[in-house]
Amino acid sequence: MKISIIKPGLLSTVQDMGRYRFLSQAVPVSGAMDELAHRLANKAVGNDDHCATIEFTYADAAFKAETPVLISYSGDGAFLVYNDELIPAEKPLFFSAGSVIKLVNNPNGVRTYLAIAGGWQVPDVMESKSTYLTAGFGGFNGRTLQKGDVLVSGADINQLSNKILNQLIGRSLTYPNWSILRDSLLPEKRKKIRVVPANEIGWFDAASILSFLTHSYTIGLRSNRMGYQLTGKPLVRKVKQELLSTAVSPGTIQVTGSGDLVILMADCQTTGGYPRIGHVAAVDLPLCAQLKPGDSIQFSEISRDEAEELYLEREHDLLLISKAINLKYTDI
Amino acid sequence: MIKEESCSGTNIPLKIYGLSEKSVTITFGTTIDIDLLDLITDFNQLLLENPFSGLISTVPAYTTLTVFYDPLMVMSSDLPGEVGFEKVSAYLNNIVPTQTKKAAQVANELVIPVCYGGHFGPDLTTVALANHLTETEVIDIHTGGHYTIFMIGFVPGFAYMGGMDDRLSTPRKNVPTAKIPAGSVGIAGNQTGIYPMETPGGWQIIGRTPLKMFDVNRAQPSLLKGGDRVTFKAIDQAEFNTLLEIGI
Repeated sequence: MKISIIKPGLLSTVQDMGRYRFLSQAVPVSGAMDELAHRLANKAVGNDDHCATIEFTYADAAFKAETPVLISYSGDGAFLVYNDELIPAEKPLFFSAGSVIKLVNNPNGVRTYLAIAGGWQVPDVMESKSTYLTAGFGGFNGRTLQKGDVLVSGADINQLSNKILNQLIGRSLTYPNWSILRDSLLPEKRKKIRVVPANEIGWFDAASILSFLTHSYTIGLRSNRMGYQLTGKPLVRKVKQELLSTAVSPGTIQVTGSGDLVILMADCQTTGGYPRIGHVAAVDLPLCAQLKPGDSIQFSEISRDEAEELYLEREHDLLLISKAINLKYTDI
Repeated sequence: MIKEESCSGTNIPLKIYGLSEKSVTITFGTTIDIDLLDLITDFNQLLLENPFSGLISTVPAYTTLTVFYDPLMVMSSDLPGEVGFEKVSAYLNNIVPTQTKKAAQVANELVIPVCYGGHFGPDLTTVALANHLTETEVIDIHTGGHYTIFMIGFVPGFAYMGGMDDRLSTPRKNVPTAKIPAGSVGIAGNQTGIYPMETPGGWQIIGRTPLKMFDVNRAQPSLLKGGDRVTFKAIDQAEFNTLLEIGI
């Protein structure tokens, strides 16, 4: 299966579940910012979660199916449109060769993931297909997708994908009546971010900790795959001690010298020297991935154990989704 | 001394905090110190050689070691504890790095060739003037030092080095240079370091190494790792070109 990029959009990269085994060499995790949407897009075509997807940023992009393709999408940055018809998300979509598919604006968020049966085929760099733009490695030649780029799917399509494909194969666009209910996995309030207190929370005065957990913060303009700068009431340090650089990870909330908050995201450095006030619960990191400059958010505190419980529940739900999809195709 | 607690092999528990649902950080001490570095290197090596089910990777830093893991695998293990943090902590507390001397076994000693001054080291004069030295004296002091790699951070392959002679201390530039070429050797305050890839930066650049400090095609992409020992050796332009062609 093959597509060509007609219009690349603002920032389109190939991503997967990230690069975790080279952190000690200061290689960032990278990977899909909204890991949940990435995984759901993969599941909808029968892929393993680790298959590479394309991460689109906002809309204004288009691509053409150069062969018949089995694809799916998930996320809040764009809707897929074909012949002026809005195409539903989180379900397998069969397009015949020659189909032109556009991404149009979805006001709800930023990032959209496009999966293909077999995953996008790019070389593994340090055991991952994720793009890390700062150093120019991984993904599609270490860069953003450009007009004219041709992307192919992996040759090995698993049994489930094959069954989905065989059921849908047709003359033009076809899709089944089922889809994954992404909304059922996400909290109702998408701008309320649950956080676990971090190791240096005691370095801030009580009033600052209170405002961190009660005031609104706005996503600043200088926000990207590395991290988000937040504007809001600056926090005041009680302990003036320096923090020696130590490991951080996507979701870490740092407080800069001027008292401003920074949420570290997928491409963040592996170590940092700013004190950390909190850590975004893993289950809410996908919500952060869909925030755009100007969005107003609020933090709410949960415990480390609650965050883990939520994480395990989410993983359990995702496993059930995979099982349910498999069941649909067991007798075919 | 926290270090003694950990080294003694007694039952004093490690200081561990959760970094995320998928990681914990062990704090071994509070100051930058070579003995502490060796202890962290020892502990890290012992853990990597004896991983628990679900261990993904580790990140050593100045005073900490962070351990990344898969919570699902940890939760399905029979380690004692109700939650992932407890299970991983229980495992880590059973690691006793007493007299293993792993640090000495895994640490490399490297000589890094540097072509000092000229267009490779446009700020050599600045460093010399700031410290009332000649350029040759700066090179002699820089190549005469023994440096220790404390950790890799900031950008892929960037080594935090300790051991620079204070006589070379120079403040960083007020306005960062937009593009510093890969391999550039710089000084900022009382630190020296090598830019592994082209990035903007505010360090005073005194020379350049032809070595690839970071190469995605190597099994260990970063040339240096925490615990390594390094010295610098002055080379001329011809040697620089030869080494660059060999492509180490």
